[in-house]
Parts: sequence; structure tokens; C-alpha cells
Amino acid sequence: MSDKDINYWRGFNELNSDPDFLKAKRDEFKDELPEGFADGLDTSKSSAVSRRTFLALMASSAALAATGCSDYREKGAIIPYNKKPEEITIGNPNFYASTCTACANACGILIKTREGRPIKIDGNPEHPVNKGKICATGQANIMNLYDPIRLKEPMLKGSGSFSSVNWLDADTKIIDELKKAVAAGKEIAVISHTVTSPTAKLLFEDFAKKYTTAKFYSYELTNDINKVNAFKKSFGKDGLPVIKWNEAKVILSLESDFLAKDGNFVEAQRLYTESRDVMKKNGEFNKLYVVEGGFSLTGANSDYRIKLRTDAIEEFAYALISALGENNSGIDELIKKYNLKREAVKSLVEDLKANKGEAFVTAGAKFPESTHIAVNKLNDLLATKVYSKENFASPVMPLTAKADIDALVGRMNAGGVGAVVHFDTNPVYHFSPDYKYADALKKVGLVVTFAEAHNETSELSNYVLPVNHNFESWGDHKPRTGVMSTQQPVIAPIYKTRQKEAAMLNWLAEKPEAYAENIYMNYIKANWEKSVYSVVSAKVDFKTFWTGAIHDGVIAFNEKFDDTFTFRPEGFNAPALKASTAAVLQLNRPNYLTDGRFANNGWLQELPNPITKSVWDNYASVSPTYAEQLGVKANDMVEITAGGKTVAAPVFVQPGMADGVVAIDLGFGRTNAGPIGNGVGVNTINFISKNATVSEWLYNDVKIAKAAGTYEVVSTQEHFPIDNERYNDIHLKREIIREGVFEEYKENPKFLKEEIGKVELFNIVPSYEFTTNKWAMSIDLNKCTGCNYCVAACNVENNIPVVGKEQVGKNREMMWMRIDRYYGGHSDDPRVSFQPMLCQHCDNAPCENVCPVAATNHSPDGLNQMAYNRCVGTRYCSNNCPYKVRRFNYFNFRDNLADAYYEKDSLSLMHNPEVTVRSRGVMEKCTFCVQRIMDERQHATEEKRDLNGDNVKTACQEACPTSAIVFGDLTKKDSDILKHRDHELGYHVLEEINVRPNVTYIAKLRNIKPEKKA
Amino acid sequence: MDKHLLDYNLKVRLPVIAFVVIAVFAITYYASYAERNSIGYTPEQPVKFSHKLHAGSMQIDCKYCHTGVDKSRAASVPSVDICMNCHTLARTDKPEIIKLTAYYKENKPLEWSRIHKVPQFVYFNHSSHVNKQIDCVNCHGDVKAMDVVGQANSFTMGACLSCHRQPEKKISNYEEIKANLKKGPENCSACHR
Repeated sequence: MSDKDINYWRGFNELNSDPDFLKAKRDEFKDELPEGFADGLDTSKSSAVSRRTFLALMASSAALAATGCSDYREKGAIIPYNKKPEEITIGNPNFYASTCTACANACGILIKTREGRPIKIDGNPEHPVNKGKICATGQANIMNLYDPIRLKEPMLKGSGSFSSVNWLDADTKIIDELKKAVAAGKEIAVISHTVTSPTAKLLFEDFAKKYTTAKFYSYELTNDINKVNAFKKSFGKDGLPVIKWNEAKVILSLESDFLAKDGNFVEAQRLYTESRDVMKKNGEFNKLYVVEGGFSLTGANSDYRIKLRTDAIEEFAYALISALGENNSGIDELIKKYNLKREAVKSLVEDLKANKGEAFVTAGAKFPESTHIAVNKLNDLLATKVYSKENFASPVMPLTAKADIDALVGRMNAGGVGAVVHFDTNPVYHFSPDYKYADALKKVGLVVTFAEAHNETSELSNYVLPVNHNFESWGDHKPRTGVMSTQQPVIAPIYKTRQKEAAMLNWLAEKPEAYAENIYMNYIKANWEKSVYSVVSAKVDFKTFWTGAIHDGVIAFNEKFDDTFTFRPEGFNAPALKASTAAVLQLNRPNYLTDGRFANNGWLQELPNPITKSVWDNYASVSPTYAEQLGVKANDMVEITAGGKTVAAPVFVQPGMADGVVAIDLGFGRTNAGPIGNGVGVNTINFISKNATVSEWLYNDVKIAKAAGTYEVVSTQEHFPIDNERYNDIHLKREIIREGVFEEYKENPKFLKEEIGKVELFNIVPSYEFTTNKWAMSIDLNKCTGCNYCVAACNVENNIPVVGKEQVGKNREMMWMRIDRYYGGHSDDPRVSFQPMLCQHCDNAPCENVCPVAATNHSPDGLNQMAYNRCVGTRYCSNNCPYKVRRFNYFNFRDNLADAYYEKDSLSLMHNPEVTVRSRGVMEKCTFCVQRIMDERQHATEEKRDLNGDNVKTACQEACPTSAIVFGDLTKKDSDILKHRDHELGYHVLEEINVRPNVTYIAKLRNIKPEKKA
Repeated sequence: MDKHLLDYNLKVRLPVIAFVVIAVFAITYYASYAERNSIGYTPEQPVKFSHKLHAGSMQIDCKYCHTGVDKSRAASVPSVDICMNCHTLARTDKPEIIKLTAYYKENKPLEWSRIHKVPQFVYFNHSSHVNKQIDCVNCHGDVKAMDVVGQANSFTMGACLSCHRQPEKKISNYEEIKANLKKGPENCSACHR
């Protein structure tokens, strides 16, 4: 297939050639002063002292004060450690292995600390599940550690307001109340999130031994309980199998966003792209089919995307089962009814039949049990072999069934519950409003909430106990059989906090005043000695084993489980979920806020949604045709009614969605999250019905109607557009995205080079010869899934500020790296291409020539350098950059948002001390992580060897879950980067303009049938 | 204007004024050179520690106390416990040592006045220089002879570059180390990032 004819576009303004947009393409900097900005300014009312006189007076008095009254040579103090910890060398980082607790996946992390302060999070390379990679949320979690809104001491509610109380008083009174509850025979309810820790489970058991009326509940806002129940019915097992995505040749995802939201998506991304490796000799590509009503990241990465309204997908699964048995009538009917792409569906059926054993079907967690049973049947028919024989994900504690939560609320209302302990949970926000949980809480005598910061639930509690952050806590986690991940603190608690498990353990102690920091660590250790050490048959003594486990952050061992999966037809009958005639509403897990608990994390709010590129909001996504039918445009408000509940939300027109489907994210609309998270987006948990007919996250009795007003959703999708139209008439058309088809590539590996042709580039000045090193990067677009983890890593590594929605709306986001998402083809059913875009460090960099003060210029090792202290802020460089990767500090952005929220003291501890914190008025951009290059240079000097480019890993490269990014030194023979740069699929963006960029892109191949050549 | 006056202004007044202004500027510029660049800045320290005694007479190696100097960007001012390696036993009766011991025992921060400083956007790396055998003296002066340490040289960008450009002229121990010495980098990101 030739890609010459396909048009690439990033949003509707570009697709429809909106005149304002075309103007904006040429004029990077918009008019900054809106008309009428000076209205109402009356100079006659101004002070008699002119501005000039005022400044002169101020300056001279300041100068006088500076010279006369102070020791101007004073340079401050150097305060060394009094007793320096042995492992610390000032200026060098230390790394500690731990476990991330941001969600239930419990990935292994490696925490980089400097002088005892955590400054960067990466995946733990030793961890068998996530192998050195971690999602954006896990990386940005560091901001929560230093968040100024964290609770600093225990709080007690007296007559309507909170006052601080010390731990001992709180403990004594709580223990007293708990004892009373037990004596009165009243229930003590402990409500937790998913329990992944075997020791926490033991703690709960011990707790229930002392407080005999205690009961434990666990919930998640979005969970896979339907999937788990279906698996139990079909295969009689508790838990879910671990999927070896790398062994599947054909994958069918029924609205399952397994690359971004379902299951352990970090692992799935890695394994999935393992079979999309063009660097492997004779490597075959897997084939991904996605059937969906919304538009997920997995859908964007698919080879064939079939759009189908979400509530018809179960019927599709049943029709597929028949089709595998050579009965195509069901499938044909669906194709006709929903106008599905016949070619794609036919190819799907053929591929499934042809790849038995190596095909796998999965459905999204939002589907009801019945859909998952049909999927289990499909996998049984396909005799899939992708279930792992080594590991099985059986939960440490299963999630509480909805009926049990309902019963708890009933007992609370009836006065049968004496105490409720929220174990770092926020059910007032998370529970369906049907439960009326907040009202029920009022009938409970003692409400204790463990929390990092105040939230919707803590407001209604008697005691709010501040808990340690992830990085201040001990723990152990068992995400699947044969894997135990350990968690260790890397910083002493910053405030008077305790980790929740330790605080609970203290309630079991005879003398709560004897609390010590390490009680929970000792408790874990005792449990490990008893129940882990004996099982793993270690060859060393326990102390060595324990130290080793904490050091590595994980232990892997052989653990037997029954690995035969025999399908039982229980519940498998006919489609239970049938398409309705009303609209479908799907409630999705947000991309980065998990369940809303990260709402006060500005980095995550500002990280663009990978598909819509929107920031700081959730909204009702609908397809263009459906928007037209409803008579709404983007940013119009609509009222959505599902299950008798109505929520108003702005519209976002999302190309490629199925008509009649509304998709909206959960986790927004917090009312007590903190200054950053309050009031961002709308709370869609209000839709969730405790007796939902389909599932908690899927409704098909939905009415949607235009409401009054508009609300602007800010999306970065049309920011920094690359101008490729202006040069359409030039002989060589600029190609930003280059793609091909896998089959064609196999036949003719050089097709791309032939397509590009021989490009003669000349220079009026002789090229510079790079003799020592030359830094370059390559990005494999076959592996890039567009997940944004690299962007998050770059933000943390390079001290990128949060600018807020208003500033993003003015094209002023500061992220050095962005992922451009291009649509190709018609807006009803576009295909998607992702392209990470960062400074290309061009050899002939156009930005350098125009800088009037030489603040940006080239280094002898090929870096396009940016000296902030030299920059005067003309912005010429940005204007002249063809890739639009330069960012200007219009403000000191740290003091610009929510009353200088990000300038508060605690947050400055988070900064990477190796990177300058930029201030107002300077230009900045990607440096290829020059601080890491310098670090390697230092080590090379210390070890008296040559600098080795392979030792330098940029932050984005380290974070990329699929290892799509390769960085290195071009002068080093047989280096990885050289292989990538010389690869036959390698190309440069806008190669023809002869700026000689140093970021090579490996062209994306789609595993689709080649179009017949004309 | 009177033609004669204009003539006088142009021929006499202007050159005189220009000369005075330029002369005053030039004299001030050179006279204040040391002052501007902090050369000779010798602040009083909370504990009267003598480099002349420790590094000079007793010839304790710089690296014994400044432990980070060959493995990190920061040379690091020694933590109090390093002093206590000797002074738990040595000279415990002296008033300054009693003061020092009090800091140690009370776990009180010891605030040394900072002498050498480059701006925050400069990332000087001690390890890279020391591991190239560039003697500390080149920047810090003859510390071994200083009772109270003061700044000996200018720490401006010009000072850094003069050495990077002409190591043979600027480095005192150049002859010993020249075999393994390349010219220092002069590009921005060598120091600024």
C-alpha cells in the first residue's frame, strides 16, 4: 500500500483547513494581549510618582542597602553531616529497590535518592514482572511524597472542625473505642483497597483475633471482578492466568485496553512488542485485532480496528464462536447491521482459524461476566497456549462482592457497626451514590481514616491518621505465584506520620506508648521467616536471605499451581448482553489518575491523554457522526442520563468511535483533593449504580441531550503543528510519518529507502567532523505504543514545571518531549500513528543560526546546547525550529499556578540537583539528558577508560516500557545506535530540509494485507 | 550657541571629561578586581581549624577529609565524625576541640562559612579534575600554608576557560601530568545544563 495518498492530521481544525488554524501554523506565537486588556485603565488616578522615578528610587535604595548594610561577600554556609551515613557520597546517587503501591499491580521500582531524598523512580530491572519499567503514575508518584497538602500529624474532629492530636492520645482513645465496640458485639469494619501483601493479610487476621467483631472489606473503583468470576465459572480457579503476550501470533481484544489499563499493562506492553521487533533477523510480527466502541490506546496500536458499539460486542463474541464452527450467519448479520469492515472481520476469522493454539482473545474489564465467559469459550476453542505455566495471578485477598458492601452499609444504618476504619481508602468518593455511604457513616460511633492528605472521606471521620507515603513504608507484595516483591523506606517519614499497617499493629500492642518505627518491619520479618523462608528453600541463613530480598526488591521462586485449564460450560449459553436501541455509556479508568487518588498530582493532570491529547479534564467522547446526530459540537455541554442519573459533561468529538457510544473517564471531579485536584473534570462515579443491569462501568439505556452552555476542553493535539503544506509544491514532499506493510517489507526490505529515493543534500559550509563522540537517538515506531511514560520520565528527570490548564490552552506547556498522535484517513475510522517528538539535535540546527546572543549552539559531541544563563528570551530559536520542540518560560511557572503551589518548600526537595531549575524568560528544550552523559564522562575519567556511549541511558529511554528508544554514541563501532541508524526502515523527519537531525525514526509497519497494486 | 564656546566644549571639555570618566572606570575596574571576584575573602569560621597545621605540618592528605573529591562532583566539607576519628583521643583538652566535641555529641549542625562558590547554573566536577591529577592548588591556592583558608583565585568563567585553553601555562604541575591530559572542553554544556 502506498502511503503517499493518505492525509495525516491531528485534529478537526487541521482536517477541515480551519483558517485560524492555518494561520496559527505559520505564526507560532499568538497575540498575547487580548483586545481590550487595558479597558478601565485611568492614568489620572495613578500615583503622582512616575514609574521611572519610582524605579530609580527603589534601585538606588536597594543598592545602598546592599552595599552599606550587608557583607556582600557572604556566600552562605556549608553544613556537612554531623555523622555521615556510610553509604552516602555527597553528589552521588544511591538506588534502592522497592515496590510501587500506586495501584494493585505492585510493580518493582528502583528509587534514586540524592543525599537521602528520593528524586527519581524507575522500574526495578531485577523484577520478573515489570523488568525495569514503570508506568507514568508510578514515576510521578514522587510528587505525592513532597506534596504540601500532606497531613503532618493526626487530627481529631471536635465540634465540626479538626484539631491536631498526638499519636498516643489518638491510639489510646481508638483502642478504647474498639474494645467497647467488641464488648457491645458491634462490627468493626476495616475498608481497604486491593490487598497485595501477605503480611497485611496476616495483620488483618491478627487484628480479628484481638478485636473479634472485625471484618475486612476491599474494593477498587475499576476492577476485574467480572473477569475473575467468569474465570472461576469456566475453569474453576480463583484468579486470572498470566498472559504471555509474546507467544500470541493473533490477538483479538474486545474493547480491552490491555496496553494501557487492563491487568499489568507495563508487562503487556513489553511482551506484546517483543513480537514486533524489526531488529530481529526474520522476526515475524504478531497481528492485533481490536473490536471496540470507544477509542483506546490498544485500538490505536491495532493492525485492524473494527468499531462496534460496546453492547454488541458480546453478540460479536458469540457470532465468532459460531464462525469458528463454520457458521457465518451470525457474523454476517452483525456486519450488515453495524456496517462492519467485512474485509477485517473476514481476515479475523481466517487468522483465528489458522493460528489455533497461538491465538488469544481478551475482553475489557468493564464487560459483564457473560462476555468473559464467551471469551473463555473462544480461547478454549482456539486451544490457546498463551497462559503462563510458571505464574498465576491469584489474589492475596479477593475483592469484596458488591452484595457484601451493600450489607455493610445496611448494618451501618441499623447501628450494628461500632467502628469503621478506612485503610487509606476514600469510599465516600469511590462508592456508588446509591449506597448513601456518607449518611451511613454518620450512624457509626468511631470513624478512623488513614490518609496521606485530607479527602472526601476524612472530612466525615472522627480521627484522621496521617500515613507514610509509599517511599517511607515497609511492605511485601505478592502479585502472582512465585513472585514476592519487597518494599522498603528510602526516606525517614518527613512528617509525624506512621505507616498504616504499623499504626494498626500498634492497636494490638499491650502498651501503645511503646511504639517504635520498626514494629511493622519486624512483623514482616517474623512472617517471612515463618512462611516465606521455609517455602523457598534458600541455601543461606535467614538474615542473609532477608537482606538479599530487601536489596534486590524481589524474590522469584518455584511455586506449584494447577496449570491445566479445562473449560466448563457453566454460564455459557447465548448472549446475555444484547445491543439496545438507546446510547451506550462506558466509564473508563483514567489514564494516569488510577482511581482519582492522584488528582492532586499536577504532572499527571497535565500529561496528555494518549489518544485525545486532552489535559486537566474528563469529557464525553462521541464520534463525529454521532455528535452531528445529537446536534452538538466539541465543547458543548451535554446531559447524560444513565440508570436514572444525570451528569452534565462537555463533548469531545473523537474520530473513530462507534456511533451511539459515549465514553467518559472516571476519577475526576474530586471535591476534596487539594488545590490542584479540586474541581477538575466531572465526577462520573455518580453514574455508577449498585444494581447496574449490565455492569458497573457499562450502561446501554442511556439518553444524551444537548444542555445549555459550553466548556472548553484543552487538548494539545494541534499544538506545535509541523508545517508540511507550505512545501507541497517542492519536488520532495516532506514526510513526517513514513509507514509500510509488514508483508511488503518482508518481500522488499529496502522499500522505504526506494520510496525516499536518493536525496542529494548540499551544504554551503563544510560539515563539521565529529571525532570524539557523537550523540544520537533512535525511536522504533513499531514498538512505540504512545503511552507517554517517556514524557513522565522526562518531566521528573528535568524538573519540568506544571503550568496549569489555562497556560496549556495558550500553547505554553513545558514538556520537553511530546508524543504526536496523527490520524490517517477518514475521521469516521482513522488509523493512528504515534511519533515521539523531542529536540532532534540537528547537525545544521536552524535554531542556532538565529540566536542573537549565541545562547544555543553546537557542542563538539553533537549536542544542540542551550545555555540558560546566556539566553535573553528573544524566542527566535523557537520560531525557527522546524520540529517545534523548544519551550519558553513565559512565567516563573512554579509560582504561577494555584497561589504558587509548586513553589512551596517541600516540593523543591523533589528537584533533580543535576539540572538547573529554569526561571522566567528563558528558552529551554531537550538536552539529550546531558547530565547523564556528564555522569558517564566522570566515571570514565575515574576508571581511566574511554567514555562508553552504551552506558548512557536517557530518562525517556530508561522509562520506555517497550525499549523503543535507543541512545548512544555514533562514533562507537558496533553500537546499538549505529545499527538502528543504519536500519533499512530508518528515516529522519523532514529530512529534505537538510537540518540533519540526530533522531532516527524506524518506520512503522502494519501487519495488514497489502493492497493490490494498480 | 556661541561658536567659541562650542569650540571650547568640543576641543577641551569633552576630551577631559571623557578621559576622567574612562580613567576612573579603568582604575576602579582594576583596583576592585580582587574585591569583585572575592579574592582574599577569608571569613571567620565557627571552629578555628588550621589547614596549615593539618595539611601542612602533619601532611594529612586532602582526600582524608574531603572524601568526595575523587568520586563525586562535590569535594564535600568533612562531616564532624571525620574530625572525631582523631579528636576523640587527640588534643581533647584544647578549647576548639572541646567546642568541636560538643557539636558532635549534641548532634548540632556545624555551619562553616562558604568560601568558594560558583553560580548555581555551573556544574563543576571535582572528580573529573582530580582524577586527571590536576592539583588542588591550581584553583584553591596553597592551602597548606593557610592558617585560615581564604579564596586565592578568581572563580569566574574566564578563570575556568583560561585554564581549559592554556593548560600548559596555568596548571602548576603540568609537566608531570601532561601525558594523560587533554585540553579541557570549552562547550557550554560542559558546565551548564
